[in-house]
Amino acid sequence: MNRGLYLSNLVVTGPTGLIVTRMDLRLEPGQTVALVGESGSGKSMTAKAMTGLLPRGVTATGTLQLDDIEVDLALGPQVLTDLRGKHISLLLQNPFTSLSPVHRCGEQITAALAPDLRRSKDEIRRRLDEVDLPERVARQYPFELSGGMRQRVALAASLASNPQILIGDEPTTALDVTTQREMLDLLERIQGERDMALLLITHDLGIARERADRILVMYAGRLVELGEGADVFAHAQHPYTAGLRDSDPPLKHRLVELPAIAGSVPRPSEVAVGCVFAPRCDRADHRCRTDTPELIGTTSQVACWKPITKADTPHLIQIATDVQAQNTGTDLVVVKAVSKRFSPSAPLALDNVDISIRLGEAVGIVGESGSGKTTLARCLIGLESFESGDISWMINAPMAQRAQIVFQDPTSALNPAMTIGASLAEALGVGQRDKSEVPALLQLVGLPAEYARRRPHGLSGGEQQRVAIARAIAPKPKLLICDEPVSSLDVSVQAQILNLMNSIIKELGIALLFITHDLAVVRQVVSRVYVMNNGRVVESGTMENVLLSPQHEYTRQLFSSVAGK
Amino acid sequence: MDTAHSHRRLTQLLSRGSLTRFIVVRLAATGLLLLVLSFVVFALLHLTPGDPARNLVGVRNVTPELLQSIRDKYHLNDPFMSQYLQWLGNVLHGDFGESIRNNTTVTTLLSDRVTLTLQLAGLSFVLTVLIAVPLGIAAAWRTGSVLDRSVSVASIVGIGAPTYAVGLLLLYIFGLWLDIFPVYGSGDGGFDRWWHLVLPAITLASGLAAMVFKLTRTAVVAELNQDYVAFAQSRGLSHRQIRSLVLRNAMIPVATSLGLVFAFLFGGTILVEVTFALQGIGSLLAGSVTFKDLPVVQAITLLTATVIALTALAVDVFYYAVDPRVRKRGSR
Amino acid sequence: MSRRALIPIVTGIPLAMIAIFVVASRWIVPNATRQDIMTGVTSPGTAGHLFGTDQLGRDITQLAIAGAGSAVVGPIVIALGSMMIGIMLGTFAGYMGGWLDLLLSKYADLLLALPTTLVALVVTGLIDGGYWVTVLVLIMLFSPTDIRMVRGSVIAQSGRPYIESAKVLGLGRLRIMFRHILPNVLPVAFSTMLLNVAFALVSMSALSFLGLGVGPGVPDWGRQLSDSRDLLDRNWGSLVLPATLIIITAAAINLLGDWLQERFEERSVQR
Repeated sequence: MNRGLYLSNLVVTGPTGLIVTRMDLRLEPGQTVALVGESGSGKSMTAKAMTGLLPRGVTATGTLQLDDIEVDLALGPQVLTDLRGKHISLLLQNPFTSLSPVHRCGEQITAALAPDLRRSKDEIRRRLDEVDLPERVARQYPFELSGGMRQRVALAASLASNPQILIGDEPTTALDVTTQREMLDLLERIQGERDMALLLITHDLGIARERADRILVMYAGRLVELGEGADVFAHAQHPYTAGLRDSDPPLKHRLVELPAIAGSVPRPSEVAVGCVFAPRCDRADHRCRTDTPELIGTTSQVACWKPITKADTPHLIQIATDVQAQNTGTDLVVVKAVSKRFSPSAPLALDNVDISIRLGEAVGIVGESGSGKTTLARCLIGLESFESGDISWMINAPMAQRAQIVFQDPTSALNPAMTIGASLAEALGVGQRDKSEVPALLQLVGLPAEYARRRPHGLSGGEQQRVAIARAIAPKPKLLICDEPVSSLDVSVQAQILNLMNSIIKELGIALLFITHDLAVVRQVVSRVYVMNNGRVVESGTMENVLLSPQHEYTRQLFSSVAGK
Repeated sequence: MDTAHSHRRLTQLLSRGSLTRFIVVRLAATGLLLLVLSFVVFALLHLTPGDPARNLVGVRNVTPELLQSIRDKYHLNDPFMSQYLQWLGNVLHGDFGESIRNNTTVTTLLSDRVTLTLQLAGLSFVLTVLIAVPLGIAAAWRTGSVLDRSVSVASIVGIGAPTYAVGLLLLYIFGLWLDIFPVYGSGDGGFDRWWHLVLPAITLASGLAAMVFKLTRTAVVAELNQDYVAFAQSRGLSHRQIRSLVLRNAMIPVATSLGLVFAFLFGGTILVEVTFALQGIGSLLAGSVTFKDLPVVQAITLLTATVIALTALAVDVFYYAVDPRVRKRGSR
Repeated sequence: MSRRALIPIVTGIPLAMIAIFVVASRWIVPNATRQDIMTGVTSPGTAGHLFGTDQLGRDITQLAIAGAGSAVVGPIVIALGSMMIGIMLGTFAGYMGGWLDLLLSKYADLLLALPTTLVALVVTGLIDGGYWVTVLVLIMLFSPTDIRMVRGSVIAQSGRPYIESAKVLGLGRLRIMFRHILPNVLPVAFSTMLLNVAFALVSMSALSFLGLGVGPGVPDWGRQLSDSRDLLDRNWGSLVLPATLIIITAAAINLLGDWLQERFEERSVQR
């Protein structure tokens, strides 16, 4: 008998066309397979098709074979009803929404058990114990728990019927770095104990590299490459896999320029003929644009007409020496002993924070959610008030020309009712600049001048973030604050934006305050860094020093949690 | 010692998240709202164009002596605030004064009619809930189905259709044309009374049911799109278990809409009672307004406000009981 | 999908017809109010009277066409007026917060504590106003919900990054409120306004059914219905025609408003 799951020739079709094309997948007991891809790659839809949970209007064809059961997916989602829970279970990304808010955790965990076990105290205790949760959680409601604990409850719930296969759809993406590591360790342990197959769907190359036995790379609805573990990236054959690997910023060193993949991910339905990656590939030739390559190979497979081989000269990646922080520069802004509380009963959001930024210097603030990093930025820019302490600017200019800010979410960064040109002209006006400078400004952020006439909603996330950066630098501020500017972008686009920011601050000679949870990202941009935890600055220094010899316990914990770098 | 103890006990009772504190705060807010409303209602007497005393005389022959006696009786020469306080004091004892149109006290007048209105409102409410809530749930479960589409269109017509127009049409079809139900009047008590109330209640329920259907459907659809439903399915929970998860969550917004319906219910009774010539509070109000029978108008307005405010309070307490998040936050 | 695309057509035809009645009734039915006591009540189909006549011998059909004006114009004014108040006060209250916000929300609480029908009946009844006073009273009664709606959307918009960016750029409050926030609130405001027209139509005709609002002798659907109660046994047309007109008009406006609201919601999701 053939144990494990074998998905063959999966095709998922939505109202606007193909979402996943001819996908094969094999999962064996005890094995972890990572399905890696950017947004729109079809990785989540694959998981939904495997569990029969496709949204209305989306259909699947193909066969799913589980041990000796064979299921024809074309017959509709109901054919999977009997397999869900007992054979395949799905763990979702967001622990805040995947549990019912008005039911106690214990009840939700045991719901899938046989009726006589649902009320058994021992059973609940055993289930909670498996995911390292105390017994009291059974009586608590999800909103009373932290994100990490909720995801453990969700994990226990998805394991209730003892599935052979667990699919985790970005199961740790919504969690903080340190919690993320704990969760991944827990998954690994349980998987080993239960000899369960784990399909890990993730956009995070580091997690895939560190945790997976096999890695499958998807792009625009197709499998482009697969192989054993970290090898897939180390010896990438597909130009996309190599591009993805290279544009993922390293933690160990700073690159002069991140090798980015030009353009953005197309919709699977937009690519009719040829290789899906051809439009963005610098190796593509005529055949790539007309014929679709099939997956070929044995242990590692690649769908490419011109795969990268050992004979190819590797991409030259230039490692930069970290920019030395100039101790001699003049201060631009000094924050002294700033404290803030959101309500009298809440803990301090900012606790006696001291930071300083010099003219033309790139500074980072690193911290997890709740560390106070965003609150500090908002105080600095005047969007939030603080109770005590002092923020003093050393230049004499109106607030708008001291600092500007770029936020995380590009989709709501721009006024949907205004054209790009109007938004930029307004920002230029603040700096007494004429609207005739709009084309030059667009060019500076790498967008064509015609974009001035467009409205934000037709733009991709990366393009919207470029416009947001253009608007922020329009009044010629002395400081550009970026609050997680790339964390909602795809890896390949993230590299483009990071390169853009590096070149802009160099060109304009302005200072940068870069706020992020991502150490590798901040490494590529700043020369000096502050580490924040629970509203306090726990460590500061040059990027290199902090990285090489972290002094504070929290900093060390943060660094050791970074996956696969 | 004793005061310290009782003080501690009080703080404990009123601590964040306790039901007592919740109810006390809510009651206080309700009381305040009614107090302000009572002031506005009292002020109606003086806001109505013309001399209050003359307005209170009604159609009787106006003689200086009569005017004077009215002024004395209603303390119309006293300062405004003291008039109000005297009136409020009487109201709190159940005394709303005397009707101008009928020579009885407002209280007697109301107590004769309040039962019918409550019966009508109660029957309509039960009809509304029994029809609209199950239909809303069924339509949400199968969005786009024939059931969903047809009931949704019907509900849009129902929401827009004026109560009295529907009432008259039903009256014509079932009362005059098919001659199944009585046309006018309140019946002779007992079964006959309920028989007389069937058409009016259906009329009143039609608009409300359309509203409740729409709100229920929206609430259930919103819940069905939540991640926890997909997660429950992926864990292999049975259809019945998933339905109970969803309904428990949807119950909260649905209960709010039912509370909201109460206000419309009492607005609707006015029109339905007039249409079907029922001797209830609503038709009394309509008649009293035309006749400028101020004490009656004041009493009915205040009574309605009280009923609606108490319903809102009940909905809030219900919230507290079913939504653990509200319990945690305490009184909002 | 295609079914929903039909909605503007299905609702547009009756609404266009009503609009023609409103604008041109004085030319279509110049003699609508002419009384003919000799004829008295006749049933539908009587020579020259499609829906019969009322007790004053007036032709039901002509009267209904002439009544479209008072049925529709007032509600449109009510919806427009209350939304204008809603936009002005709601925008300020939502964006600035503070005492104005508190005051307005308390005012809304107070008015929402009673059924609209009841308050409208008591106020218009006691002050004996005519048509336009009723319109004014209904504007006051409708505005709190509009203020709330606008205020809610303004608050939702204010927290979005593009508004915060505008603040950081140092733009003036008025500019942010009216140039940045308002254009994004207007679509919702417009569809709400449409739904309010339907609601106002029902409320206005309800008041005239109770004998308030429209002066005696003026053609009006609500008054026609009120009169029809005494004619039911002799002329069912006096009931069916105005009732159908009110129901169709209100339903068409509601359908259109719902459809618009859904479209705007879809668009904001796509963004």
